[in-house]
Amino acid sequence: MSFKSKIQSFHDKHYKLLLILPLLILIFSAVYLAVFYNANGAFFKKDISLTGGTTITIYDNLDIIKLKTDLSTKLNDLNIRDISDLSTGELKAVIIETTSEGQEAKKIVEDYLGYPLVEGENSSFEFTGASLSQSFYKQLMLAMLVAFVFMAIVIFIMFKNFVPSAAVVLSAFLDILMTLIVINIAGIELSTAGIIAFLMLIGYSVDTDILLTNRLLRRTDHSLNLRIFNAFKTGITMTLTSFFAILVALFIVAPFSSVLTQIFTILVIGLLFDLFNTWVTNVSLLKWYVLRKKK
Amino acid sequence: MKFKFTFKIWLLIIFLALSLLAIFSSSGFIKHGVLVASIDSSSDLFSQGMRQGEVIKAIDNQKITSLEEYSNLISNKFVSNKEIKLIVTTDKSEYIILTNNLSSIVVKNIPKTNILLGLDLAGGARALVKAQNQSLDSAQIADLVDITRNRLNAFGLSDLKVAPVSDLSGERFMLIEIAGATPKDLNRLLSDQGKFEAKIGNQTVFIGGDKDIASVGRDAQNARIESCNPLSDGSYQCTFQFTVTLSPEAAKKHADITENLSVNYTDQGNYLSQRLDLYLDDKLTDSLLISEGLKGRVTTQIAISGSGQGATEEAAYEEAKVQMKQLQTILMTGSLPYKLEIIKLDTVSPTLGGSFTKTIMIAGIAAILAISLIIFIRYRNFKISLTLILSTVSEVVILLGAAALIKWNLDLPGIAGILATIGTGIDDLVVIVDESLHDTSISIKQRIKKAFAIIMGAYFTVLVSLLPLIWNPITGGAAGAGLLQGFAITTILGISIGVFITRPAFSDIIKQFKHKEDVA
Repeated sequence: MSFKSKIQSFHDKHYKLLLILPLLILIFSAVYLAVFYNANGAFFKKDISLTGGTTITIYDNLDIIKLKTDLSTKLNDLNIRDISDLSTGELKAVIIETTSEGQEAKKIVEDYLGYPLVEGENSSFEFTGASLSQSFYKQLMLAMLVAFVFMAIVIFIMFKNFVPSAAVVLSAFLDILMTLIVINIAGIELSTAGIIAFLMLIGYSVDTDILLTNRLLRRTDHSLNLRIFNAFKTGITMTLTSFFAILVALFIVAPFSSVLTQIFTILVIGLLFDLFNTWVTNVSLLKWYVLRKKK
Repeated sequence: MKFKFTFKIWLLIIFLALSLLAIFSSSGFIKHGVLVASIDSSSDLFSQGMRQGEVIKAIDNQKITSLEEYSNLISNKFVSNKEIKLIVTTDKSEYIILTNNLSSIVVKNIPKTNILLGLDLAGGARALVKAQNQSLDSAQIADLVDITRNRLNAFGLSDLKVAPVSDLSGERFMLIEIAGATPKDLNRLLSDQGKFEAKIGNQTVFIGGDKDIASVGRDAQNARIESCNPLSDGSYQCTFQFTVTLSPEAAKKHADITENLSVNYTDQGNYLSQRLDLYLDDKLTDSLLISEGLKGRVTTQIAISGSGQGATEEAAYEEAKVQMKQLQTILMTGSLPYKLEIIKLDTVSPTLGGSFTKTIMIAGIAAILAISLIIFIRYRNFKISLTLILSTVSEVVILLGAAALIKWNLDLPGIAGILATIGTGIDDLVVIVDESLHDTSISIKQRIKKAFAIIMGAYFTVLVSLLPLIWNPITGGAAGAGLLQGFAITTILGISIGVFITRPAFSDIIKQFKHKEDVA
């Protein structure tokens, strides 16, 4: 028996059993999120773009460790990062993040440095009030929810069949859920840009599912398994091109932009889960559905 | 069989050409000269009509092609402090001035492309402001926007956007965006209401705004830093003075009030018994002696003075200049009708911008190389792979062209949007190729049709998932703050260009490749 037909007979026998994997992950995710929510009061950790606070970027070669120890008593929830040049590795700027109020934080940093921070010359400055951030957060969550519902409606209109449509929506939901869990376990604080990334993930995750569903339901040209295999060949090319393109870009922008780094990180993780959810979860559900309908 | 240029392919070519035109036309890529980035509104050149945005082509008929040439020329011209005649030729006009320097204008190289970069890439300032302890209705916000725009213009800022925005709960804000500049006084300019009153005793003589103030002296004769002196604690103080011209009504009021004052005779001179007190936001900022000669007289010219302090003489001088400019602005534009609170303030330095844009370009090229590699491994067909990559690149070019055309500011979330476009673009092209390769039982036309069924499905799901981001009732406030629109608009634009222009053209090309193979 060839390798291909071995896989085929394995899949024919066990494809329903494979659904245990996403089910287990789903249960784990639900429990983990419940515990996480209990501990943190939210489904993820928010960075200062969502909680409110101040970011000061200073274009100077400063000692980060010393800065951290000296300022941590004066500024709330202090976090310090650096930006370095891609080619030379030279330190270009230091980024100070704190939940303290803008002008107050600026004053403290200026007093410490001993020179004034002139915005646009030796520094950049971002401040967002806590109440405004709260309102951003609510708006973004609502946008996310509406986006997901809209996506689901389009899917249901497109396929006009409950089970296949639900399978696509479920697979998109699992992509988001699993990615969120990894983000939480990794301790990453989400920014507004991070939420945008989750929105992008909706788009990236459904297109392979639409391809799969189209090939399985609207074709009768080949055997079911061959159709799955052909869809897999196309789908894996789609996902891998996106995955490697973003991975490469991630490595290049990582030392530079926290905004793009977060977007790319979430997409890379999300695309890996999309491979799993499209070719394990969705394939099994669809195969089950098609075979049952045949009988 | 010869390659046939179908309508869809021509459409792609036309859009590509138009996009390149939109990106590069009249940009520094093909145009020579230096761009006037800012011009002092009290300068001679300004009064002759030169404005920001003009391109200086030549000085004294010597052609200028770069910033370097400009600086060299200028330093050669002004060797001594003598005033010389200078002919400045721009793309709009020719100016002849007599001067000993050209510091009234700041120039920069003409941008290489017409693509505008957003705040986070090019630098600039953005503030979201609301009224303190009070919510405003739409008419009140519109008022505030007008007055604020005036004030910022009077302050010398021109490349700016002031607009009302509102959030989910109906709360209204004012959004201010200043491109390419980060005025250090923005904070003060906005958070100070700027209620200016000049009082004698408890009677108001005049207030800021065009009702009482006819004009404010801002040129070198009528506004200057008077003197700088060390203070007892080692810091410095510089005083400034500028003249204002009162309206006839305000001057009359001044006469009526001073009429009844008595005169104090002192060794330093003879002054009226009460002083002219200047209040800014209800704080006494200065108290001026009124000389005896002004008693009961209708004078329209008044000198206003004040001071600035700093740790060094230089700092005090700068501070006095800032204070003077602010007071002048307030006198010209009047006070803001509400006490304001800045709830979001971002100032991004352009320092990192250049290397940042470079990094993003490198990342983009690397990403396309990675994609090319995978595509080539998958298809092992040079022609198909190359067509696919070229289609993706042209999608990005048309997207950038559209952005340049509608003067869309490309920001970081916008970059993510371009990435989303490339990602879904490649996905769709792969679908087209695979559909056209498989299932040879039906015609190539039908196969492409099937591919587009999948592509349109994916397109609409992405489209609707982005709608909430640009739908004002949901994200008005956040979108207004520049957080989401960049991403949503760029992505929608990008995938639409893809679905309606590049991908149909691509399918026509692939169709022909495939047709040839079928025939062969």
